[in-house]
Amino acid sequence: MSDIAAFWLDSLPQLLAGLSISLQVTGAALAIGFPLGLLLALGVQSKVKAVKLPSLCLVEIGRGAPALVVLQFAYFGLPQGGLTLSAFAAAVFALAWNTGAYTSEIIRAGLESVPFGEIEAASAMGMLPRDTLRFVIIPQGLRVAAPALLGFAVAVLQATSLCFAIALPELTSNAYMIGTITFRYMEILSLAGILYAAICVPATIAVGVLEQRLGKHAL
Amino acid sequence: MNHIPDTVNLSRMHPVGEPDKPILRLEAIRKKFGEHVVLDDVNISLKSGEVVAIIGPSGSGKSTLLRCVNMLGPATSGRVVIGDLVIDEAVPPTAQQLTQLRRSVGMVFQSFNLFPHMSVLRNVSLPQERVLGRSRKDANKRSLELLARVGLEDKADQYPARCSGGQQQRIAIARALALEPQIMLFDEPTSALDPELGLEVLAVMQELARSGMTMLVVTHEMNFAETVSDRVIIMADGKIIEEGASREVIRNPTSDRAKRFLKAVKDR
Ligand SMILES: Nc1ncnc2c1ncn2[C@@H]1O[C@H](COP(=O)(O)OP(=O)(O)O)[C@@H](O)[C@H]1O
Ligand SMILES: [Mg+2]
Repeated sequence: MSDIAAFWLDSLPQLLAGLSISLQVTGAALAIGFPLGLLLALGVQSKVKAVKLPSLCLVEIGRGAPALVVLQFAYFGLPQGGLTLSAFAAAVFALAWNTGAYTSEIIRAGLESVPFGEIEAASAMGMLPRDTLRFVIIPQGLRVAAPALLGFAVAVLQATSLCFAIALPELTSNAYMIGTITFRYMEILSLAGILYAAICVPATIAVGVLEQRLGKHAL
Repeated sequence: MNHIPDTVNLSRMHPVGEPDKPILRLEAIRKKFGEHVVLDDVNISLKSGEVVAIIGPSGSGKSTLLRCVNMLGPATSGRVVIGDLVIDEAVPPTAQQLTQLRRSVGMVFQSFNLFPHMSVLRNVSLPQERVLGRSRKDANKRSLELLARVGLEDKADQYPARCSGGQQQRIAIARALALEPQIMLFDEPTSALDPELGLEVLAVMQELARSGMTMLVVTHEMNFAETVSDRVIIMADGKIIEEGASREVIRNPTSDRAKRFLKAVKDR
């Protein structure tokens, strides 16, 4: 038992370094992916074909293609087309696209939940559609979408483990590396799992609390 | 209610233009949903400061008519004339026409339609800032005046969900008034309310009528129609079947259809 503790203690710095990269990828992917999701949600609803069709394509491909495929495409495929991305950039690219595509649906549902009467009242007062969108629809729609978006953020952190496939030294890759050297896969992967859980479990609980709070303040 | 300001103030609140010249004319309004004729050649003319109540059975086209006035749901044909603004219902209005129309005409809905994520004060101030370009400070000042006028200045910092239905509707009235409309449309403003709460809304509307606001009010409140409005219009099946001085129309309707409707209302 003390043997495992010592092994874990030895490996911890490398795993924490990996976790830090996992969190950085997650943060960057969300920082790009959530706004992208909002833009795609609006784009898909647009009446302008030149906006709607590309938005639909981005959403459908992002949702249709497994994240692992997009990840490998970005890292191994794009250089063939002359664009070389670092493993970190490729990871952010793939996960941000994935996030944008999936959250566009979550956000669209949120935007559509805003009662039509409010939109009509704004219009009757002479508010421009873009003002109505900005002040009435988006703030309320995002509030409705918030719990699902935070839930998705947890899923993105877990999905960073896919970056193992492009040799990004994130948490799973580092754990695996230690495993190949020490052959103590079970212990090291358990520790990696605990570290993921240390972030994801509280985050999931926070989502639940947020959901309750928002529910209470709703009409 | 004790918040009704003195009459000197009232006369200045809604300056009356040229008396006797109509401020709002609805001309030959027709509307079809598919093959279904919902409005059939409706003509209404309102003088400045006049209060007209529209009553009639459910489904007779009252809401549809109000929505034609401010182009929330344009008619199939007909014209809306407000001063020098002439709107052809069959033609999409220019952005400028639509802005002028929406600024001239305020509307209050059965379902209040306040913005639930904003405080009461924000609800009333935001449209002023976005539509009239008022500064936050000026908008808030005006909002507080109007909230006081509807008896709700102490609710300024609350959220709408914390207010009763009657209070929410009075806030909605303040929000519309803040944009300085020439004409106010009301679509069954008390139908979603318990009778008592309806009364406080009716009191605000009565004060508004006295202050000289031009009002077109769809209502089920016969008492309001009879005592507050100058004229009553009875609609059925998309047509005006009876109109005239309020008391006359309600006490002595001439057509059978109107008699049947009024009897049904009284027996309710
Ligand atoms: N969007 C719509 N599509 C089709 N029919 C409608 C629509 N809105 C209203 N109607 C029809 O128009 C008629 C008049 O409705 P409305 O103006 O709401 O009546 P009222 O307000 O007098 O109760 C009704 O027969 C209703 O079914
Ligand atoms: Mg109606």
